[in-house]
Amino acid sequence: MADEDDVVISKRISSGRAHWPIFAALVFVAATIIYPLYFVILTSLRPNADYLQSPFGLPGEWTFDNYLRLIEDYGIGQAFLNSLIVSTASVAIILVLASVAGYALAKLPVPGTKLITATFVSVMLIPGPVLIIPIYVMLARLDLVSTYAGVVLVYVATGLPFATFFLTLSFRGIPDEVIEAARIDGAGFIRIMWSIVRPMGSSGLATLAVLQFLGAWNELIFAYILIPKESMRLLTPQLATIGERFLTDQPLVSAGLFITASVPLILLAFASKYIMQGLQVGVSR
Amino acid sequence: MTSSLLASSVDAASAAPTGGVAPRKPGGIRRRDRLIGLLAVLPALLIVVGFMAFPVAFALFISFTKTNGLKFEWRWFDNYIALLTDPIVHQVFLTNLKFLISVPLVIFAALIVSVLLFERVRGWKYFRVIFFLPNVLSVAVIGIMFRNAFGYYGGVNQALGLFGIEPVQFFTNGSTAIAIIIVALVWAGFGYQALLLLAGLTSINPAVFEAAAIDGAGWWQRLWYITLPNIRRVLGFVFIINVLYTFSSLFGFVFVMTAGGPGFDTTTIDYLVYLTAFSSTNLGSGAALAVILFLFIGILTVIQNRVFKLGKED
Repeated sequence: MADEDDVVISKRISSGRAHWPIFAALVFVAATIIYPLYFVILTSLRPNADYLQSPFGLPGEWTFDNYLRLIEDYGIGQAFLNSLIVSTASVAIILVLASVAGYALAKLPVPGTKLITATFVSVMLIPGPVLIIPIYVMLARLDLVSTYAGVVLVYVATGLPFATFFLTLSFRGIPDEVIEAARIDGAGFIRIMWSIVRPMGSSGLATLAVLQFLGAWNELIFAYILIPKESMRLLTPQLATIGERFLTDQPLVSAGLFITASVPLILLAFASKYIMQGLQVGVSR
Repeated sequence: MTSSLLASSVDAASAAPTGGVAPRKPGGIRRRDRLIGLLAVLPALLIVVGFMAFPVAFALFISFTKTNGLKFEWRWFDNYIALLTDPIVHQVFLTNLKFLISVPLVIFAALIVSVLLFERVRGWKYFRVIFFLPNVLSVAVIGIMFRNAFGYYGGVNQALGLFGIEPVQFFTNGSTAIAIIIVALVWAGFGYQALLLLAGLTSINPAVFEAAAIDGAGWWQRLWYITLPNIRRVLGFVFIINVLYTFSSLFGFVFVMTAGGPGFDTTTIDYLVYLTAFSSTNLGSGAALAVILFLFIGILTVIQNRVFKLGKED
């Protein structure tokens, strides 16, 4: 994608005007995004009294107390781990199921392909609120409320339609000849998945893994409803509880915000290439 | 989220696969391939049907009953009648309409940013990543960040204090509370949508711009007569996802920022589904509201698709 863009630039007419007003405007817009986050991070590193005295300057006293208090007294460390486990498990299951299904839909003569694809696409149109009540009742019947298995199941089910659709499109790009050659050499389904589809589709798989991880990590509603027990809480509901309880202690809440945002920010910093690729799927067909 | 365009690509996704490879093979292998293919698709399909498609049917069933989740008493349309005559539901629907103000705001902001990015000044790719940043954050993070910023001790009131203005209680008044949720929505959404619009801009044939430039069209004229008409389609798409989002996905923001209050002043339909389901003893009522919301969104999607003629290329 990056190289195409560069070609486009050279082709485009450049008016020869100075670009600095546009650059300045972009810096301003970027600041409206960066500054609130900068403010949150800075606030999280100072005591409450120091914040109330001069909220906008640099902290008069730097401290990690807010983070330590959240971990020791409010179980945010445990919640962080819980979220990490649930998100990782969901992504792993989604990747396996969706790549197997995606490969079959892209390369094998599956009976009813059209109907199956239509099913995956149409369930993507279901608005989230519609699912809350039936899924809660179903999981209660299955004794899966208050278990991580229940949450993982919901994340897998809600993630799979897009994942399968995405991987079907992305595996379509693997040349038939390569797969055919492997078959002639006697490779079976699993062997082909592992030795050809996995390496050749790695870029699509990475994009999907990052997107699905973000989705699971950031999810709030099901995490809140399905895990009512405080000691088992996931990170986002725990953050919501802390945010509600400590209205007067901005630095403490800011520390919670930064802990929750840290993982997505790290992913964006190191995997922005994959995230941006995933974004393109929505528009260009 | 990307549903409308995805829907139009169903055909693209399902048409290609089978044809090319198959005929060359003898019947036995082909039959085996069909079986393996089916087995490979089955786990994903079963989970999706069981925990996405079936719940919709189940919600429809629940909506006709009075239930606590264990015992179901069939009540026909009682839940629907009660909802449609409930003044709180009317108020909440009107509140939801107020949130539509965010749609033109976020599109306008996105449009400006996309046009700026399209100029490809030095470092535009880094700006692209920065503008995408709110999109990787949880609704919980964004919502609480904004509630904090506009809270009594928050940054905004502290800044007002520097000018000698008394702290404002933004969240005790319905209108200001809605305004702040809208600000959060715009902040969270404009960057991603700017990138969607940028993709639309990039697909305009550069020759059109060159021709216009040769004819002496200025920057503003090019923007108004060439750029905007050429991205109608993407603009329409962005408009639709925003409207749908307003009716179906504000739950998180409302939940962490105002909990629907003061009173029901910031309660949206999707939040009311949650409230009726988990704070009353009758799940049927919540399910009925969810079904109504589903139908409403469905009709809205069809109408908007017609209006913007998304199915056709232009």
